[in-house]
Amino acid sequence: MNNETIQVLAAHIATHIIKQPKRVITPDEKILSSGLIDSFSLVDLSIFIEEHFGVRIADTELNPETFDTLAQLAGLITQRQ
Amino acid sequence: MSLSHLLVFVILSLVLGRIASARWRGRFLLAASGLAMYWLQPAIPIRHLDFWLPTATLALSVLVWASTAPGVEVDEDKRCLQQRQNRITALTLGGLVLVIALLRYTQPLCCLTPTIPPAVHQVLLALALAAGIGWAARRISGRRPWLHALTLFLLAAFVVLKSEFLAQAASSGLRLLNGQPTATASALDLRWLGFSYVAFRLIHSLRDRLDGRLPELSLEEFIIYILFFPAFTAGPIDRVQRFIQDLRRPFRLGLEDALAAGRRLLIGVFNKFVLADFLAIIALNAVNATQAHATGWLWILLYAYAFRIYFDFAGYTDIAIGLGGLLGIRLPENFDHPYQKPNPTLFWNSWHMTLAQWLRGYYFNPLTRSLRMIKQGQSSLLPLPLIIFIGQVTTMLFIGLWHGLTWNFAIWGLWHGLGLFIHNRYADWSRPRLAWLDERPGLKRLSELGSVLLNFHFVTLGWVWFALPTPALAWQTLLKLFGG
Repeated sequence: MNNETIQVLAAHIATHIIKQPKRVITPDEKILSSGLIDSFSLVDLSIFIEEHFGVRIADTELNPETFDTLAQLAGLITQRQ
Repeated sequence: MSLSHLLVFVILSLVLGRIASARWRGRFLLAASGLAMYWLQPAIPIRHLDFWLPTATLALSVLVWASTAPGVEVDEDKRCLQQRQNRITALTLGGLVLVIALLRYTQPLCCLTPTIPPAVHQVLLALALAAGIGWAARRISGRRPWLHALTLFLLAAFVVLKSEFLAQAASSGLRLLNGQPTATASALDLRWLGFSYVAFRLIHSLRDRLDGRLPELSLEEFIIYILFFPAFTAGPIDRVQRFIQDLRRPFRLGLEDALAAGRRLLIGVFNKFVLADFLAIIALNAVNATQAHATGWLWILLYAYAFRIYFDFAGYTDIAIGLGGLLGIRLPENFDHPYQKPNPTLFWNSWHMTLAQWLRGYYFNPLTRSLRMIKQGQSSLLPLPLIIFIGQVTTMLFIGLWHGLTWNFAIWGLWHGLGLFIHNRYADWSRPRLAWLDERPGLKRLSELGSVLLNFHFVTLGWVWFALPTPALAWQTLLKLFGG
């Protein structure tokens, strides 16, 4: 389940956020603190998560303390589904 | 915070961290934070105001707790015990204020406050009033209009304190009430120590209560969170959900924790009291900016300012984290090598991180989300660049004006807001086009080095607006820096 979620998230980020469809984002790569995803794209990502997975991540949770890797984000989504 | 304050705080923290049992830890932290707040408050020429302002901080904190604490939904036995504990805390706080006021009669030991506290009957009256308001607030706890009203009140107080005109008008009013001459009223009369940070923590609590995300807290826990003395004057702004985990965790200071905290304290003392205070001698200011004519010298003054402001603020954070470590509270980091970052986005992920995160959580993210949700069919009605522009520029404008309602702070905020926007658009354009750099690590490192230097100078030139009092002087200085 987590792997599938990670793949969906990685594909969305690569295609729609950083616009490099061939870019491989590994599950443990830091996506927020590294600057790969900026604050605007982070809100966009949370809207995508809400629409695609039906999971709400609150505005105050959008920070590296809550999740900084795809593995952590997928874990959070699974936990709330 | 002076070195003598710090020495007392270190000894106090060592003693509290080492000997306070789990039962008494909260009580000690409460008393220490309350006393420290009065002790740190600078002297104010308006009679007794340096006693009333810390008292108002305490009263506001109790009021917000009373307005956000859950009602009767928890089970009866637990509620009775909690109510008893909260009553003891309220009495302890009242007693603390009274003892501080009574010190006026203990000459020559008087006083903990910088000037003599008011007469005891005035303090008793104020305590009775605060207790009455607190009791009434408990009755309407959790009601949305009331929580919104409190948030607005805190924001309004913020505006008054940060605006020179309004602060001076408020000072005149207070002087008039006190029968003091109004001719010498100044905005500096309202130096309400720690209010900025206290207000952020209180608004965070109110907003999280509105969203149902505020944990259940005793009065003691809440007051310790708001007034925690290591972070009272200069942050960092911790989140209550995180802070409370550490506070509830049993803690006894061991050698390993003491050494880690001591190391952090030493770094902080060196950064603040050696590096920052030395650099302050030559850092850019309104006087030397006018006097300096050689471009090279002006750049030295500006570099000195850039490093002084960093070492000063980061030093305070190190000290706060070190003191917190002695007490078993792991305060969040506020700086992460900001001058080594290659772009404005990463700079703001590593400079005053807790303030930036606070504003993202409570302003930028909700605003961006609501603008994104204005849709026509399936797509966003507003163009993405416009949403990014509005979000980034207004957020940075707020951060600028948080330092004071002046043109220069506004321009400094706009400088960074535009920098973030331009970088965002550039990154969007360049990322797919420069992806080949990933296969040329040497060239990538060189490009990153160039970006770090460019970004450092972007931030450093922005400090000209921050350091100088008027737009005219700042503009003149910027021109001189480039040989004009």
